[in-house]
Amino acid sequence: MVPESVRIKFRKTGRLRYISHLDLDRTVRTALVRIKIPVWYTEGFNPHAKIVFAQPLPLFAESECELLDIKITEKMPFEEIKRRLENAFTDDLHILDVYTPENSFRDIAFAEYRISGNFSVNENRVNDFLSKDININKKTKSGEKNVNIRPQIYSLKLNSDGTITTVLDASGNSYLNPDIFCRALLGDNADFLITRTNWFRSENHGITEFR
Amino acid sequence: MKLDAILKNVLKPGRYTGGEYGQVIKNKDKISARFAFCFPDTYEIGMSNLGMKVLYNALNMMPDVWCERVYAPWPDMEEQMRKNGIPLYALESLDPVKDFDFMGITLQYELCYTNVLNMLSLSDIPVYSFERDERFPIIVGGGPCTYNAEPLCDFFDVFSIGEGEESLTEMTSLYISMKKDGSYTKSKFLHRLAKIPGFYVPSLYNVKYNADGTIKSYTPIYDDIPEKIQKRIINDLDSAPYPDKFVMPYIETVHNRITEEVYRGCIRGCRFCQAGIIYRPVREKSPEKVNEQIKCLYENTGYDEVSLLSLSISDYSRLSKLTEILLEWTDNEKVSLSLPSLRADTFSKELMDRISSIRQSGLTFAPEAGTPRLRDAINKNVTEEEILHACSLAFGGGKANVKLYFMIGLPTETYDDISGINDMGTKVVEQYYKTENRVKGRHPSVTLSCACFIPKPFTPFQWCGQNTIEQLTQKQNFLSEKITDKHLRFNYHDAKASRIEAALARGDRKLSAVLYEGFKLGMRFDSWDEFFSYEKWEKAFKNAGIDMSFYANRTFSTDEILPWDIIDIGVTKDFLLREYKKSLDSVPTPNCREKCSGCGANRLGGVTAWCPKVSE
Ligand code: SF4
Repeated sequence: MVPESVRIKFRKTGRLRYISHLDLDRTVRTALVRIKIPVWYTEGFNPHAKIVFAQPLPLFAESECELLDIKITEKMPFEEIKRRLENAFTDDLHILDVYTPENSFRDIAFAEYRISGNFSVNENRVNDFLSKDININKKTKSGEKNVNIRPQIYSLKLNSDGTITTVLDASGNSYLNPDIFCRALLGDNADFLITRTNWFRSENHGITEFR
Repeated sequence: MKLDAILKNVLKPGRYTGGEYGQVIKNKDKISARFAFCFPDTYEIGMSNLGMKVLYNALNMMPDVWCERVYAPWPDMEEQMRKNGIPLYALESLDPVKDFDFMGITLQYELCYTNVLNMLSLSDIPVYSFERDERFPIIVGGGPCTYNAEPLCDFFDVFSIGEGEESLTEMTSLYISMKKDGSYTKSKFLHRLAKIPGFYVPSLYNVKYNADGTIKSYTPIYDDIPEKIQKRIINDLDSAPYPDKFVMPYIETVHNRITEEVYRGCIRGCRFCQAGIIYRPVREKSPEKVNEQIKCLYENTGYDEVSLLSLSISDYSRLSKLTEILLEWTDNEKVSLSLPSLRADTFSKELMDRISSIRQSGLTFAPEAGTPRLRDAINKNVTEEEILHACSLAFGGGKANVKLYFMIGLPTETYDDISGINDMGTKVVEQYYKTENRVKGRHPSVTLSCACFIPKPFTPFQWCGQNTIEQLTQKQNFLSEKITDKHLRFNYHDAKASRIEAALARGDRKLSAVLYEGFKLGMRFDSWDEFFSYEKWEKAFKNAGIDMSFYANRTFSTDEILPWDIIDIGVTKDFLLREYKKSLDSVPTPNCREKCSGCGANRLGGVTAWCPKVSE
């Protein structure tokens, strides 16, 4: 059969916060072998399972919406794939959904994050923050660069429980690292936890669901 | 949580979080003994250690025991922990080690001793055993260094001598039953433990010394404990507990693969090699058992590489059968086999073809010495022809890299023997160009890797003094100048670190003071070049008033009481002495399969060994 694309949505929490993207990638590959998902292998001298993540999650962040695409070479009901995946990890990696992808990872334009922690920010601070350029020093290959991240912030909202919800640019060209955003808003030494909560595509100058 | 905050400030935080797939979690309220299994080196090294996996599994098979893992935090983490008042904790529960019933520390190499003391201190546990009352865990030592753990005697409550699968279970069972019937006190427990074979409670033995610093006597302080502690062995490896799953590290460790132990012990008896003696008698697993265990681990881990572990895999009597049944399924599943301990004399084309799936970058052989004369003296029974033949096979099989291991400073060595190392390297290079079916257009790279000889307890060379640093350096320089062929690479071990290893390996109880001085100097991670400081070690010896050369360089008298004479490993001192004498005449000894040399290890029993039966 033609390899079939399967999208896996999972939560990454707890002790997995300290596990880098590369380590997660290896962990998932080993698990896929263990639970015998018929993953499509690349041809060639050193064949490896073709698996693609939507985007790396920064170290120390959690997520409720991580996405991973695999291709399978034999028919297997999604329910069965889900059941096997559920037993393949600890609770820190919790499988939420297994489905046929509708959009390509290339179409991801924005990501939504919830910021919680030991800080206090009020409406005034938010309004002030959003009202002007937000210049930060960014380390690049050719040294430090001063950039304005304001255009990459799509929305920013204070929740009644003291947490913050923000939608930031997550497109290939102008992705904004939520860590940088938090430091700009809360200060370098603030104690915060970032949780990625959703993905969006662009549509008619607005944003819409990504699936 | 405090831990969360500090994990953001350290390298590789994944070393310190636990929570891996495959870890064992138990309900604290339903268990009677908690065991913190400590590996005194980094997570990456400790997680790759097979012994630890085996014992973690064996202890956790007991329903009322919970064994957890602990590794030495890297200095950046240590700094954060000390600054924030976080004591050393176990990875499964994140609970402090000091709240456990047992802290078991595996002693794999001498240079980790400084980490042992540091880990006790990081746990807020007093390092000296006499300072610890009932509130603290029982500190148990295990692993190869316990065959002479005298330098650590002041810090441990007990050492488990020999293979631990059964004895650790007995120890924890005794503890639990004494706790239950109310008879438990630490001293009563240790006294009862000392009566069980395989447990050495150092505080129950008095040592007296002669005026010259050598040992006068070892006396047990109770008459109902044995004078010598007999090592424990597993009688039948096929029925011994073996892990059916591994804890799967998230971060990259030294080996991310299935390790399967194929047999224990070694038939060879190289005279410098401690492992070849202390693990006697040889006991093999059946090929069927090995296959079954590997299959099970494959199902439960998903690793695509299997490493067959043993001291010398080609000596496994049923290797051909084993590779045959393994290849029936491993090829299809894209699982590769690796055989890390091949001997040149049994290396065959057939073997190489069968394991062609090994993603090995090159081959390694260990002639150990440069001339036939010295190889006879150390009983490394491999000939130059065999090595050249094996290399030729490897070259024909498409390899161009070979690594040859040697030792410098071996007993009876002359400068001719050292030149011989270069000669052999040169011949291997020549062999490359003589090999018709080599890959044309490439050039060979032959690495001559030279360790320094370290006299080890329970070897025929246990009496021999090590060369001084000056002698070793001179020899290294001599060889370095000899080596001119541009296809040869030469690397060698640091003579200074080898000297410390020698002193600790042959040390007695007086060296506890040195380790304590080292601890006060903040020493740790001495097996890492970036932390090893010979100057600090010199200082520690000086502060303790101990002469390093007495242990490292002195040739011990054959009628002296040795610090490790308190341990009975099965192999007799008589045998070792016979072997030592034969070495002086450069006379080799046949291997156990050719002919039994009566080493004494058969007294311990053990099925599947080909030693003569005890009664015979
Ligand atoms: S008893 Fe004989 S066969 Fe057995 S290990 Fe000793 S020397 Fe080898």
